Amino acid sequence: MVLTGRAGLVAAIGVVVVLLAPQPGAALAGVCLLLLAAIILDLVFAGAVRPLRLHRSGDRLVRLGGQATVELVVENPGRRRVRGVLRDAWPPSAGASPRSQKLDVPAGERRRLVVTLTPTRRGDRASVAVTVRSLGPLGLAGRQGSHSSPWGVRVLPPFLSRKHLPSRLARLRELDGQHPALVRGQGTEFDSLREYVVGDDVRSIDWRATARRHDVVVRTWRPERDRRVLIVLDTGRTSAGRVGDAPIPLAGAAASGGGLLVRPDARPVPGWPRLDWSMDAALLLAALAARAGDQVDFLAYDRAVRAWVAGASRTELLASLVNSMAPIEAELIEADSQGMVAAVLSRAKRRCLVVLLTDLNPAALDEGLMPVLPQLSSRHLVLVAGVSDPRVAAMAARKGTAEEVYDAAAAEQAQLGRRRITARLRRHGVEVVDAPPEDIAPALADAYLALKAAGRL
Amino acid sequence: MSLDMRPAPETAGSRSTSPTARSTWRASRGIVVFGLIIVAAAVFTVLIRPDGRESRRLDPADSSLAGSMALAELLRDRGVTVDRVDSAQAAYDKSLDAGDRLLLITDTLFVDERRLADIQGDRIIVGGYSDLDVLAPGLRVQPGQSSRERSRDPGCDLPAAKAAGSVHIGGLVMNGPQGAVGCYPAGEGSSLVSYTEASRTITVVGSSGFMTNQRLAEDGNAALALDLLGSAKAVTWLVAPDEPPVGTLPGEDGESLYGLMPESIPWAVWMSVITVLLVAFWRGRRLGPVVVERLPVVVRAAETVEGRGRLYRSRRARERAADSLRAGTVDRLTPRLGLGSGAGRQELVAAVAVRTGQDAQQVGAALYGPPPADDAALVALAGYLDVIERNVSEH
Repeated sequence: MVLTGRAGLVAAIGVVVVLLAPQPGAALAGVCLLLLAAIILDLVFAGAVRPLRLHRSGDRLVRLGGQATVELVVENPGRRRVRGVLRDAWPPSAGASPRSQKLDVPAGERRRLVVTLTPTRRGDRASVAVTVRSLGPLGLAGRQGSHSSPWGVRVLPPFLSRKHLPSRLARLRELDGQHPALVRGQGTEFDSLREYVVGDDVRSIDWRATARRHDVVVRTWRPERDRRVLIVLDTGRTSAGRVGDAPIPLAGAAASGGGLLVRPDARPVPGWPRLDWSMDAALLLAALAARAGDQVDFLAYDRAVRAWVAGASRTELLASLVNSMAPIEAELIEADSQGMVAAVLSRAKRRCLVVLLTDLNPAALDEGLMPVLPQLSSRHLVLVAGVSDPRVAAMAARKGTAEEVYDAAAAEQAQLGRRRITARLRRHGVEVVDAPPEDIAPALADAYLALKAAGRL
Repeated sequence: MSLDMRPAPETAGSRSTSPTARSTWRASRGIVVFGLIIVAAAVFTVLIRPDGRESRRLDPADSSLAGSMALAELLRDRGVTVDRVDSAQAAYDKSLDAGDRLLLITDTLFVDERRLADIQGDRIIVGGYSDLDVLAPGLRVQPGQSSRERSRDPGCDLPAAKAAGSVHIGGLVMNGPQGAVGCYPAGEGSSLVSYTEASRTITVVGSSGFMTNQRLAEDGNAALALDLLGSAKAVTWLVAPDEPPVGTLPGEDGESLYGLMPESIPWAVWMSVITVLLVAFWRGRRLGPVVVERLPVVVRAAETVEGRGRLYRSRRARERAADSLRAGTVDRLTPRLGLGSGAGRQELVAAVAVRTGQDAQQVGAALYGPPPADDAALVALAGYLDVIERNVSEH
């Protein structure tokens, strides 16, 4: 049961009536009885909420930064018209709008309502309940009830770095024989023989084949294909730290508003977690490697396997990657490097390129990865990619006052540790990519292309 | 590069989650039964209590510890008429009766003390001390002084006090006017003062504990009380009224505040209460549940570095700060100067001096010298290290 403001208004008018009436006691009783009768009348004649049937349709997937529409069809099998408001209750970060909307379904008919979702962060969002408030003919009172009408929307990582994909694909084609400029050397494999055309490199003429035929025949080359790339995403505590500026402003704003630990006087926390930047880089690498004909697998790990995508076909790869990445959040626990290496070794039987997306944090790496790295690097080619913090770089550059110099010294210390751990990793034969958030995806793609050109896969 | 947006399947439908009358009853019957038990217990306790009235101090009709029913009964046994009154008007009406009558004042909070003062006859005051200047003219009360109630000896020639002996008394410390008798000395005065003023005897007692049912049997309490009150044929016993006459205006008509109010106001107040309840119910009813969400932590990655910077700052750790800055500079300069990682200090300093054309000693002091003495020196060092780096990369 609900009352409306109108009931309150009628009661307020009743106060005036009682004040002015010659017989106030009788007036009070009269007003109350009248109001009670009207409320009961409204309750009796309000359309029933319980028998309503709700049907949903609409988007199941949406990229972060995009909008999803979910349709809700309200069917009224009852005998009375249902008139009032409806609220589809979504979690705050689903960004559902409008919060509540008017509803008017005549008996035996159905009406369609649309809820627009503008999610502010990645992950699965589900509607909690649909509440209908059905008012009586006088608009004084009504009935209210909730229905469970399950519907979930998966908010996928936005894959912002896809803007870098065309240029990297062009570079890939340069490596490939499709492009006029043939690149030959280590890291390429024999593709086919074809007739010589003017402009071909004379060094690529296959004299033996030419002798067998009457034409001059050249060999064509192409970069090696069908290699394996295993992208490993570290979802431990070091991935939770926020760096850079959130590329989707709403997401950053929501994050700053939601954090209870953020002091109100502190400026809004900018940025995205390292995890999201790493995912972006992983998606670009996966798209590129899939085009290059390599087999891409994906593993997310902290102390257990959070996600595992293997054997996806070229066309399905990205869809299954974003799908499995969507619900992953950084866990506030120290990543178990030993377990991660074991998981990689048990899954990658053949030699492959292991791309480890983590933070180049000297303390965490020293205790975690460094001792077990030889096991991995002896069997696989390892590439460690870390997102650096532009804020630390900015701190290191500001040296105006004594306070800033102390901060700069702390930043310098952090950067020094990072450079040292990078040097140590390189001595182990590990490739390292260390780039600020906006550049990590293209930098990782370039590193992959360089490895491919050098034939090291 | 399109993410495949799979067509959404039509869901089976919905299910009502609102509680039905039956489920509401099932969920709340425990609470309802518990509430009923509590109400029943409360009603039972009220019913078995013999007297629901609270104790009324010095009331001749009250048999509780604070009352004075015992004294009143004793007086009646001695043939003294005890008339309990609770207003100045009633006391005045009684005073019109013929005969030897005494007025006992135990409380004047709701009584017009001037009216009271007009009543003829002897007067004993054991309460309502705030109006003493009207009821007992000429009496001086030691301001701010109060003596403890305890057993005191009379120390005076008043027959009643002499006969009673020691009495549980204390309270006000008073001095009477010329010719007054002061008994039970306390401090710089007495706890009981009796004097004659305008042909009537006024007796003021500093405390009234000796007249209560609790204390009457102790010491000479009963004797004093009986002697004081039993001197007359009748006692007009003024007590506080049962219902304090709130808002009664002290005018000719004695009109109360309620009487002046239009009749409809109380009814309108009730209607307003109903309105507030309705509005509260309207605003209080939420449209659906509050949705809670588990949010990820919000922590900036640079917080550890900022914390270290603040630590340096608070400790004025110039040595460590300078070490960090120098190590960073050396780390960047070494590869730029084409030196191996094993290059020694002298080698590096010499290479920097040659490349930038600066004094080798100065460069050496900047890169490997003693820690800066104060913050200004630290800032200067940081600036100079920057200059060296810039020069090396430019030349």
